Amino acid sequence: MLLKSLYSSERFLKIIFGLSLFIVLVMGGMSYQLIRKLSKSFEDVQHTYQVHIELEKLLSALKDAESGKRAFIISNDSTFLEPLLNSESELEGSLERLKFLTKNNPEQQKNIAELKIKIDKNLEIFEKTLDLAQSNKIDSPEFISSFKEGRQTMNSVRFKIMDMTTHENQELGLRKEKSSKTLSNAPMFLYYVLIISLLILLLTYLQISKNLKILKEKNELLETFKESTTQSEIISKHGNWIWHVEDNTFEFSDNLYRLLGEEPQSFEPTLENFIAFAHPDDLDKLTEQVNKMMENEDLPFIHYRIVQKNGTIKHFKAYGKVLIDSDGHRKLLGTTADITDEIENYRLIEERNLELERNNKELASFNYVASHDLQEPLRKIQTFISRLEDKEQANLSDNGKVYIGRIKSSSARMRSLIDDLLQFSRTNKSEEAFEDSNINILLETAKHDLAEIISDKRARISSDSIPSMKVIPFQIKQLFLNLISNSLKYSRENVAPVITISYSQTHIDDLPKVKYSKHNRYHTISVKDNGIGFEQEYAEQIFTLFSRLHNKNEYSGTGIGLSICKKIVDNHHGYITAESKPNQGSTFTVYLPITN
Amino acid sequence: MREDYTYVVLADDDEDDRLFFTEAFEELKMKTKVDIYKDGVDLMNALNQSDSVLPNILFLDLNMPMKSGLECLKEIKDNQRFKDIAIAIYSTSASEEDIEDTFVNGANIYIKKPNNFNNLKKILSDVVTMNWQYHTSGLNKDNFLLRL
Repeated sequence: MLLKSLYSSERFLKIIFGLSLFIVLVMGGMSYQLIRKLSKSFEDVQHTYQVHIELEKLLSALKDAESGKRAFIISNDSTFLEPLLNSESELEGSLERLKFLTKNNPEQQKNIAELKIKIDKNLEIFEKTLDLAQSNKIDSPEFISSFKEGRQTMNSVRFKIMDMTTHENQELGLRKEKSSKTLSNAPMFLYYVLIISLLILLLTYLQISKNLKILKEKNELLETFKESTTQSEIISKHGNWIWHVEDNTFEFSDNLYRLLGEEPQSFEPTLENFIAFAHPDDLDKLTEQVNKMMENEDLPFIHYRIVQKNGTIKHFKAYGKVLIDSDGHRKLLGTTADITDEIENYRLIEERNLELERNNKELASFNYVASHDLQEPLRKIQTFISRLEDKEQANLSDNGKVYIGRIKSSSARMRSLIDDLLQFSRTNKSEEAFEDSNINILLETAKHDLAEIISDKRARISSDSIPSMKVIPFQIKQLFLNLISNSLKYSRENVAPVITISYSQTHIDDLPKVKYSKHNRYHTISVKDNGIGFEQEYAEQIFTLFSRLHNKNEYSGTGIGLSICKKIVDNHHGYITAESKPNQGSTFTVYLPITN
Repeated sequence: MREDYTYVVLADDDEDDRLFFTEAFEELKMKTKVDIYKDGVDLMNALNQSDSVLPNILFLDLNMPMKSGLECLKEIKDNQRFKDIAIAIYSTSASEEDIEDTFVNGANIYIKKPNNFNNLKKILSDVVTMNWQYHTSGLNKDNFLLRL
């Protein structure tokens, strides 16, 4: 968002600069034009004055000649005629200069030509009167008429010059009028343009200062990022490095030095200095991978060891990717992580796994011992007892018969203990064993297995219809078998057992003592009886192995049955609870997760 | 099967079990001839004699030194000469694994050694009088293990 506005303002700035440049150029051009106009009008004025002066000079030269002539006529002193010679050449010069000055003005040229004729005529008359005066014919009528004529031509010359002066003034007036319009508007226009330029500059300044603020914020953000990167490097034990591909130079982050066991920036960040830390056994591998990196400008995950100066061996993992910056420079950004702890942990886990495997093997061989080797002598003891009972009954004393009976019941108990223990250790979990099963059929099978004792005790068992579930079938059958036989075993004397098996569903929140589960709803199967029950305080204890609430003379039982139930339910990621009151029966509730 | 008697052979390394076995047959008073071998090697040596008389029913203990019951079973099933011998596995354990292995390898019945002498007698008499042809034709994993 911020960055975007920064980009758009950059474009805005470019436009402003272009505009300003254009305006300044226009202003310059206009000023040049104005100054040129001003100097032109100045030249015009000067030109007019020059023409004036020349005309004045012309007139005064004629006057000089005239007055010289008159002075000569009066005094007859020839020295008065000297200026005449000068004024003639002066007249010529003035006329030439006038011609040149007005060369662009055909009207004046015409006037000059006329003036020249008049002047020539005047001069001619002048010469004539002068000749007559020199020959002392002043009183002759010819002289008098010539003299008069001279005065007339002189007057016409004067009028002509006056005409020309007026004409020149008119010209000047016209030019002034023409340029005065533009010249009078020019300062105002320049002032406006200046104001606009200043406004644009102000706008630019505002935009720049805004951008600077954004840049400052960005810089602070970058600073924060840098700091947090440094921290995360330390926490997660990794270091960053940059390889500038074109210059073939490196940059190492502070923590990379720490990973090597060195002070930050304590040596030149070069490849050679880094590789010097490589473990001798990994040196070739690392060099090869670095060469590949240089070649491909890419670094896939690599793993190697380094040796710190104090001799500690560390495991490193590195990864890099090429980044092309806005100037088109290629940089390989790399991350190197110290994975020594991970490797140590992995090794520890592997060791533990091996230990577990060994333990499992031992357990398996124990199973075999229990199932075969322990059973064999017991079976023989039992068989020999049956032999004794059959063949030697008559030879035994009454005490002997009692003892035989005791041996018989003890060995029978031993057998049920071994069988139950085997059952317990065989109740294992295996994911493949899970299959969609009709729970009602499993329950019926369990009841069928117990048919004899059910009919002996005249027990009544009722059950809800239970939906099918994905379970380990033989274990769920075993679960029903154990729960029902438990209810039958601990029935009250002279009261026919009534066992009710009901089904419902429970939400995780209503499950007692369960804090976390990945399943939301649970199948809930409860087995309720009207047996002897127990104190609620033993509700958890009864599920532990070999725990019994009654003397084994009162009730047979190995204390394994309910532990098997718990193990089966655990295998199914479920829970089992017991609720009871003495002499009022117990309820065992099994919760199994509803999957899919 | 010969008309006059049933020839029964047992291979078992356990002295007590051999005793129970012979005593049971003595008490049963059936028309049987019983031979006993103390391990698999002895048994196979005797059977492999070219002039040996082949038993009608062979009881095989599984856990025997040197040559186990399973090895004997495989050898016997590999040999056409022994194809008419009914083989009864006679073992202390009744683990799923053992039952599976022996069934797959062609044993005819699996007997778990009982812990009562009278039960033993009943089992042995049932097995000897069993109609093998009928039993073998309908043999499956469920009726393979003999239940009392």
